[in-house]
Amino acid sequence: MEKPKMIYLNPLPVRIWHWLHALGIVTLCLTGAQIRFPEYVTMFGSYKSAITIHNYTGVIVCLDYLIWFAYYIFISGSLKKLYIPTVDDLTKGVIRQMKFYGYNYFRGLPNPHHSTPDNKFNPMQKGAYLMIMTVLVPIILITGLMLLLFAQKWMMALGGIKIVFAIHFIVACFFASFVLVHFYLATLGHTFWAHFITMITGWEEEVEEH
Amino acid sequence: MVYKTKHFIIYLMGIIICLMGTLVLMVGIGIVSANAMETEDCLGCHGDSSIIDEGGERLYIKQFVGAHAEEGCEACHSVTDEHPDDGVKPTTETCDTCHDEIPDEYGSSSHSKNAACTDCHNPHAVRNYLAISGFDQNKPCAKCHKQAGHSAWLPRASLHMHAVPCITCHTNTKNYAITFYIAKRKGFNPNKKNAINLATYKDLVQIAGNKKIQSIIDTNGDGTISLAELKSFNSNPKYKDVWLWGMMTATEVSHDYGVFDNRKDCTFCHVAGPKALQASYVAFPEQDGTYNRVAVEKGAPLDMLFATPNFYMVGAGRNNILNFIGLILVAGGVGAALLHGTFRFLTRKNRRKH
Repeated sequence: MEKPKMIYLNPLPVRIWHWLHALGIVTLCLTGAQIRFPEYVTMFGSYKSAITIHNYTGVIVCLDYLIWFAYYIFISGSLKKLYIPTVDDLTKGVIRQMKFYGYNYFRGLPNPHHSTPDNKFNPMQKGAYLMIMTVLVPIILITGLMLLLFAQKWMMALGGIKIVFAIHFIVACFFASFVLVHFYLATLGHTFWAHFITMITGWEEEVEEH
Repeated sequence: MVYKTKHFIIYLMGIIICLMGTLVLMVGIGIVSANAMETEDCLGCHGDSSIIDEGGERLYIKQFVGAHAEEGCEACHSVTDEHPDDGVKPTTETCDTCHDEIPDEYGSSSHSKNAACTDCHNPHAVRNYLAISGFDQNKPCAKCHKQAGHSAWLPRASLHMHAVPCITCHTNTKNYAITFYIAKRKGFNPNKKNAINLATYKDLVQIAGNKKIQSIIDTNGDGTISLAELKSFNSNPKYKDVWLWGMMTATEVSHDYGVFDNRKDCTFCHVAGPKALQASYVAFPEQDGTYNRVAVEKGAPLDMLFATPNFYMVGAGRNNILNFIGLILVAGGVGAALLHGTFRFLTRKNRRKH
C-alpha cells in the first residue's frame, strides 16, 4: 500500500502556541462565565477561585500572544504571507470559499483551498484570523489587563470601567462563539480528526483530489 | 334671673379656662426658653477651649450638633443653679435611657467588651449614619482597627476598602443601596490607602456657580435623579474634574458588630438578584460636613454604559442588554455549527461518492 504524501504544515512553536492558546481561551470563557453568572455557573468552586484562575490564565494567554507575535514576526517572518489576504483572496477567494462551505461541500465537491506551509489558510481563514489576532485578541487582552491592574486612568480615558467591562464581555462572547465554530470547522477535513491530528503532529496528509 | 345666673357662671368658667390655658402656655414657653438658655449657658463655658486649662479636655465641647443638640444639654445632664460653684458633679444619663433596644443588641456582640458607646459615638456630635459619608463612617472603626488585615484573604483589599464601609460587612444588616459620592478625579488611585478625595461643599459651590449644588446632577430640581440626568452629568465637560464614586452602603444598620463568615463568600455581594443594585443615591455634601442623599432612578447602577460608567460590581452589576447581545453571539456560533452539521449529515452520501 502506497504511503500517503505528508506535508509539514505546523512547526512545533505554532502547535505549542495553538494548544496553549486553546486551553487558555476555553478556561477564560468558562471562568468568565462563572464570574459574570455566579448563580448559574459554579464549576470552579468559589467565586474567588474562578477569578484567580481567570487572572492567571489571562496573564498566560498574554504571554502566549507575545510568543505568537514574536514567532511570526522575528523567527518565521511569515505573518504577512500567511495572514494578510491578497487582492485575489478578497475579490474571488472569499466568495469561492463561502460557496464551498455553504453549498459545494454538501454536494461532495473538493475544498478549493489546499494548505501548504506558505499558504496555510484559506481566504476566509486569513481574513478571520487576521482580524482576531491583530484586533480582537489585543482588545480583550488589553481590557483584561486594565481590569486586572485596575488602571483607572486608562479606563477613564476609554469612558469608564463599565465600558471596559462591556467591551471585554462582548469580545469574550465572540471568542466563545469562535471556539465552537472553530472546533466544528476543524472536523471538516478529509476525515473527522484530520485537522486535529495535524495540529498535534504538525504533519498533514496531502489528499489527492479525483 | 336663673337664666342670667347660668350665663354668668358659663362666662366665668370660660374666663377661668382661658386664664389657665394662658398660664400653662406661659409656663411652657418659660420652660423652653429656660432650657434654651441653659444650653447656651453651658456652652458659654464648655464651648470655650480655655475650660481645658481649668478642668481638663473632657469638659470642652468643641461642637454640639446633631440630634442630641436639638434635645439640649439638660436632656442628659442636670446641674444645680449654683453649678459649678456647688462642687456637685453633674449627673449624666446613659445611652439606654433613650436608646433602649440598641444596648441589648450591642451588648450581645463581642465588640461590646472592647468599646463603649462613646468610644465610637461622640454624644455631642451625633449624626445619622446616612448623613455622613462612607469614609466618615469608617473613622470610628479606624481609631482601633489600624490594620484591618483584609488583604490576607480579600482580593483587591484596597479597592474594597474604598468601596465598602466597614459596617456594610461587619453588621448583620440585610439591605443595601449604592451611594454615589462626588469625588475629585485628580490623584485618584484605589490601590493606595485614602486615595479618594470627595469634593467638599465649597468645591461644588465653585462648580455650581450661583445654583444649588444639587443642580449639578438634578438639573430639573425635582428631588430625584434620572438616568438621563446622570448621563448628562457624566458627559458634561464642565464637570470633568469630578466623577461619581459608588459605595455599597447599608440602608439600615444594626449594632451587632462582628465577623460574619458569609461575608467572606464573594457571592454574598457579587451576585445578581431581584434587589441587587436597584436602589442608589447621590450624596451631596452640606456646609456642615454632612451629606444629603438624593434618590436616583431605580436600577441606575445596572445601566449598560453611561449612567454610572465608573461603577461596576462584577457578577452583580451585569446588564441584561449586554447579556442578550452575548447570548446572540454564542447562540449564533452554536446555531451555525448545528445547521451546517445537519446538512452535512443529510448530504453525507454525496461526499462518499467522491
